[in-house]
Amino acid sequence: MARIRLDGITKRYGQVTALQRLDLDIRDREFMVFLGPSGCGKTTTLNIIAGLEEISDGDIWFDDRRVTFIPPHQREIAMVFQSYALYPQKSVYENIAFGLRLRKVDEATIDAKVRAAATQLEIEHLLDRKPQQLSGGQRQRVALGRALVRQPTVFLMDEPLSNLDAALRVSMRALIKKLHIAMGTTFVYVTHDQAEAMTLADRITVMRDGVVQQLDTPDAIYNRPANRFVAGFLGSPQMNFVEGEIAEGPGGPAFTRGALRIPVDPAVAAGQGGRKVVLGLRAEDAVIAEGGPLRGEVALISPLGSEQHVHVAAGDSELIIRAPKDQRVAVGEAIALAFDPARLHLFDAATEQRLGQQP
Amino acid sequence: MMWRRGLRALVITVLSLLLVIYVAGPVAWLVSSSLQSESDITAVPPNWLPPKVTFDNFEAIFAPPKREVTYETRRQGDPATGRFLPSGAENLLPALWNSFAVGMLVAILNLVVSMTAAYAIAVIHFKGRKAALYTILVTRVIPDIALIVPLFLVMRQLDLVNTRFALVVTYLAVTVPFTIFILISYFEQIPRDLYRAARADGCSHWQALRFVYLPLSLPALVASVMFAFLTSWNEFIFALILTQNITSQTLPIIISGFVMDFTTSFSFINAAGVIAIVPPVVLAMMFERYIVSGLTAGAVKG
Repeated sequence: MARIRLDGITKRYGQVTALQRLDLDIRDREFMVFLGPSGCGKTTTLNIIAGLEEISDGDIWFDDRRVTFIPPHQREIAMVFQSYALYPQKSVYENIAFGLRLRKVDEATIDAKVRAAATQLEIEHLLDRKPQQLSGGQRQRVALGRALVRQPTVFLMDEPLSNLDAALRVSMRALIKKLHIAMGTTFVYVTHDQAEAMTLADRITVMRDGVVQQLDTPDAIYNRPANRFVAGFLGSPQMNFVEGEIAEGPGGPAFTRGALRIPVDPAVAAGQGGRKVVLGLRAEDAVIAEGGPLRGEVALISPLGSEQHVHVAAGDSELIIRAPKDQRVAVGEAIALAFDPARLHLFDAATEQRLGQQP
Repeated sequence: MMWRRGLRALVITVLSLLLVIYVAGPVAWLVSSSLQSESDITAVPPNWLPPKVTFDNFEAIFAPPKREVTYETRRQGDPATGRFLPSGAENLLPALWNSFAVGMLVAILNLVVSMTAAYAIAVIHFKGRKAALYTILVTRVIPDIALIVPLFLVMRQLDLVNTRFALVVTYLAVTVPFTIFILISYFEQIPRDLYRAARADGCSHWQALRFVYLPLSLPALVASVMFAFLTSWNEFIFALILTQNITSQTLPIIISGFVMDFTTSFSFINAAGVIAIVPPVVLAMMFERYIVSGLTAGAVKG
């Protein structure tokens, strides 16, 4: 159990700056997810929390303890890796017991804890096997077991599910969430998978090029993205973006691009006439409805079973919107889209920052 | 098709046999001739197999007749009988011990020094690790022969001439850079995530080396031990200069001393040669089973 505080962390590799003055406050018992594309610095940040990477500048605190110069083995952390990283020469039992043996825990306690963890993870029958005799999902369970028997103050996970197939990933996700509730420990979880981030996190830190883009609850990040990058990174299909400008008119401010004219929330755009902006529209925030303000033509339909994605050509832009599976549309059909102006997102074209209320 | 495959097998077999003869032939001749008397060895045409097996040569080594080698006795000892003993024959067993002691010490110390250095360079990303590695390797660019005189002077200043310690230190200077280099490349093949896992599990650097890196590098460690031992066992020129009496002289020096001005006993030298190859061969057979690959299978997704 620990609150983790990163205070102005900078990490340079030679000339390259991986992290630039990163401040982060992870609450006690929180499930924090670092989300971002590869190379955004999320794994580096995790390694820094673990003590596996030295930092060029800044400080790290676990509660009131400054751990900046404490080596990893004295930080009471546990870690799970994408590659599983099991000790190949040791049996499953010894892999799980290893951390306890290093701490000179007595044999009876070790045995009890290893068996309890194995039961919890449903790998009791595998304890005598060697890692190479296990499947990927089983290996990752062993890796989880190795981490949880230690009852660490901080549980670090580096893309633990990325090597698993889709079905296994969903069930392991649920398992990890249960573990978090059962253990009552601070979890820090690195992923590039937005679905994992949304389902697991109490709060998400979206990172890009070593800079935090937004730190908030999954809900806030999804509904009020701080900038165009965050808006585009979360959500599937991706948020639709249309570049244009704000025009003041008799009916209040509107977003315009050529013949396209979409009224927008006055609270956000009033008095901003002429400002170059990017309009963001989530696929599920528009509905096909007669008389809607945005007219276009169906260009493509992608049925997904539970729903369908309709590509709509409107002016010179193409939008993807989500429609119910039983909605009848045909390619080439002229349709109109309706939406709640409050659900539209506006970003400054130059800074890409969100207009209006900051999250 | 069958015919061509047969021909291919035949060619491979013949070439392999030639290779075996090339490698094993001298050893076979060494063993064969060590069991012959001097007259049988020098016969023309040579006796590839001993016409009459004799252990006299070995008896002379392990139980040398108590006698002083003087001009008189030497004239009496007819080399042709195989009973001829070169002067210094009694030094053979002490030299065997010297060689063995020096070899073992070099093998062990070489491993201890090299594995820690290799771990530091391969695993700990400290500033200047490349420079450290190149500095170590560059020491091997200087030819040994150029080092002999300065080394001798240093050893004399330190009063280490004629000690086995001087040989151990010198041989380590030869073996350590290579061993570090070999172990670094081996350590770097071990997935980095295993290091991260070990540290997160609570390993200090020492424990990570002990519990993760060493068990997974067993083949490289065994190869290093063999390499260091053999280098030390076979070394001649440093030993020749740094040691001048039997308190520290090694086998190659003593055996080469058996080639004398007037008479050379081939049978005796060959018997000594057989004894000289026994320890490395035994060592190689003991360790051979550890030289296997694939120890990291199953560690990370492969």
